[in-house]
Amino acid sequence: MSPILRTVNLTKRFPGVIANEDVNFDLVAGEIHCLFGENGAGKSTLSSCLFGFYQPEGGGLELRGEPVKFRSPRDAIHAGIGMVHQHFVLVPDFTVLENIVVGTHENGWKLNLDEARGRVEDLCREYDIDLDPNATVRNLAVGQQQWVEILKALYLGAEILILDEPSAVLTPEESIRLFRIINHMKELGLSIVLISHKMVEVMQSDRVTVLRKGKVVDTVRPGEVTPKELTRMMVGRDVELRVIRDRSAEGAAAPETVLVVDNVSYRDNRENLALDQISLTIGKGEILGLAGVSGNGQKELFEILSGILIPESGNVTLADERIEGLPSRQYMDRGVGLVPDDRFREGLIPEFDIQENMILGWQRHDDYTQGPFLNQKQIGTIAEGLIDEFQIKTPSATTPVNHLSGGNAQKVILAREFVHSNKLLLANQPTRGLDLGVIEYVYKQIIAKRDEGFAVLLASEELEDLLNLSDRIAVISGGRITGVVDPENTSIEEIGLLMAGERKEAAE
Amino acid sequence: MTSIERDTGAPRPITRIRIEPRVNRKPIWTFSMYLAATLFGLVLSALLLWTSGADVIKAFSALLNGGFGSQKALVATLAKATPLILTGLATVVAFRAQVWSIGQEGQVYAGAMGAYTGYLMLAGLPPALYIAGIILCGMIGGAVLGALAAILKDRFDVNEIISTVMMNYLIVFLLSYLIGGGPWTEVSTSVVYQQTAPISEAAQLPALFGSSKLHLGFGFAIVAALVCYVVLDKTPLGYEIRAMGYNPVALAYRGTNIGRTIVLVMILSGAIAGLAGVSEIFGTAHRLRSDTLFNLGYTGIIIGMIGGLRPLGTVVAGVIFGGLSSGALYMKLLAQVPAALVPAMEGILMLTFLCAGVAARYKIVRVQTDG
Repeated sequence: MSPILRTVNLTKRFPGVIANEDVNFDLVAGEIHCLFGENGAGKSTLSSCLFGFYQPEGGGLELRGEPVKFRSPRDAIHAGIGMVHQHFVLVPDFTVLENIVVGTHENGWKLNLDEARGRVEDLCREYDIDLDPNATVRNLAVGQQQWVEILKALYLGAEILILDEPSAVLTPEESIRLFRIINHMKELGLSIVLISHKMVEVMQSDRVTVLRKGKVVDTVRPGEVTPKELTRMMVGRDVELRVIRDRSAEGAAAPETVLVVDNVSYRDNRENLALDQISLTIGKGEILGLAGVSGNGQKELFEILSGILIPESGNVTLADERIEGLPSRQYMDRGVGLVPDDRFREGLIPEFDIQENMILGWQRHDDYTQGPFLNQKQIGTIAEGLIDEFQIKTPSATTPVNHLSGGNAQKVILAREFVHSNKLLLANQPTRGLDLGVIEYVYKQIIAKRDEGFAVLLASEELEDLLNLSDRIAVISGGRITGVVDPENTSIEEIGLLMAGERKEAAE
Repeated sequence: MTSIERDTGAPRPITRIRIEPRVNRKPIWTFSMYLAATLFGLVLSALLLWTSGADVIKAFSALLNGGFGSQKALVATLAKATPLILTGLATVVAFRAQVWSIGQEGQVYAGAMGAYTGYLMLAGLPPALYIAGIILCGMIGGAVLGALAAILKDRFDVNEIISTVMMNYLIVFLLSYLIGGGPWTEVSTSVVYQQTAPISEAAQLPALFGSSKLHLGFGFAIVAALVCYVVLDKTPLGYEIRAMGYNPVALAYRGTNIGRTIVLVMILSGAIAGLAGVSEIFGTAHRLRSDTLFNLGYTGIIIGMIGGLRPLGTVVAGVIFGGLSSGALYMKLLAQVPAALVPAMEGILMLTFLCAGVAARYKIVRVQTDG
């Protein structure tokens, strides 16, 4: 079958980096084609070129055999290409229908909602999407909001649909429903480009193009390769993280317990039970991995363990002292460090410079003050030292952190939390969005802390990483711990089942 | 992200001009923007004067001479600037923390009333102590009103804009009652003026430079500006105030009590605004009346904004507007400019200054598009 959309030696450069180099990619009508690669491999850049958001510097696009040039997404939309972004572009207070129609200007400036409603209802029926056009978007679940995005694209006549990491924000159940819709759309003749770095989704697609460092490694059929081979193609080597794995030697001789979480429950402000009787322990020099689809209670758990939220019931014991309900200040003073998952929102003051961020939370500490004043000289010296130690690439200690790359900004948080804590390290998605080199660095630092005797709670969406690093892995789903497994004697499949909510009885 | 929003669907040509914040702002650019704003404001004002039939040149030279032309004029300018600098600083402290307090107006009144209470209750103390006590009472008055809004915000999530505006009304009416028939009203033979009896000499703020207009209040304004500068830039509290303004979430995540910080901010802001009330009543008017205090707080918001929410910038902005309002009197007298045009000119200048503030912070860029 001839390709409906194709790139020929497509090259896209950004100042200093080649994001896509000589990329040859083709999409056959009626297939699900997965773009697979790590963060920064060039998946998003490629899809942005396909959608006309970027214009390639070299090579070009062919649509149904004809060379085309998209000057903007508008051109791409006219050509029948739709894109669903990872972050939704919806007006929360509008209805589903209004969100779909807004900005289309199909009847000039006049709005004809009734006609539009009919078309939206037809689309819903055709693609088997169960959605009320009159529902307000704010009241929809995340998965349903995604359907609205998909409907938006379909309403504009998309025949090619680009989905950017569509399951990143979904629960397992929502993902399954999404893939049912995607498969149905495929049967009806739509062509789908699926961007993902999740193995499960990759294996469900018809073909996979693996990208690494902006280049195409290969295009294969999932049935013809093993997940392991795909991973190797993606990373470019056998997953090296295994090399740095070196479990704590004293792991065998039951380590002394640092943190005990006992039957902790928490209700969010919408009265949903976000955490349901969570019990965990972490020992000295132990890394407890936390696996789960994001949004299943990880954030609430981390916030409770760092004193930002107060649990509804249950106990938190740190080094034999009950600490639930204390303010976060007290947790910090007792040696708990937190690497939050939303680093620029929760971990940093973006407008502040590096040295100011290095003391965030410790601005009243004796080390950084002199009488009533901040001791700028001392702060500067300590910051310089940390910049060296953590290899933060920056012109100076007084550079605002919003000028830093994600990796360097993350290192600022790591440096701060590492020097100010001494017992427990909470790391929620510490490597999200970082380059592989930085990821390895972050993990090495976490391992070094473990070897110093820290108890570490590490949440990650990368199961491979958890398997490599953790002494034990707890799986969270729907606010419950569905099982605690030993990485030596488990499989991705087992963890996957636990993530989907199947409980493991007689967990250790 | 905004571009994506704009680009999906709309069949209009894509916008090729975008407004972006400036990175690495150069002081010279900021300065020239304000210079341009001044000139533009003066041109617009000149047009306004011209339409009213006044002699534009004569009017402007009267304005300049009246504001800055002589030592006497300068002293009058600084006296006018004193309360504006103080209310401006009160704005700086609150707004830097992104606490949108509009309560400076009420806090000025509360400060004056607190000080007047102190004046009545502390009579008989040794002179220096008496004045110090009065000043302290004034600051407490402003601080209490400020803290009230902060506590409402912290405990009950009451929007500070609404609570402060409402309290402005409350406090003004409370003063109206107290001096318009209530216990503080001046006892005169037949008519009731909206004022108290004159304040005894022992309680008046001492004059500076032997002038009849400039008094110790100006010293307070300068000291307050220095204190604000040091607190904001050099102390842990200032660090927390600035951090809260930028990202309260991260600050709270790392152990700082946001509610407590808001209360501290409003106490500080209220105390400074209260000082403006003390200064006007005990330094200038020498009796408590409401028209002397009117609008000082609202103008202070603009002064603080024009000063770039920086203490020293606020002093400069306060002096410029002090000069404008003292020069305006001369303009009215010498160039027969209708009185109503003076606040109109002030308004024009405020608008152009605010535009300059935006122009200094943002730039317009052309978005590159291929093909």
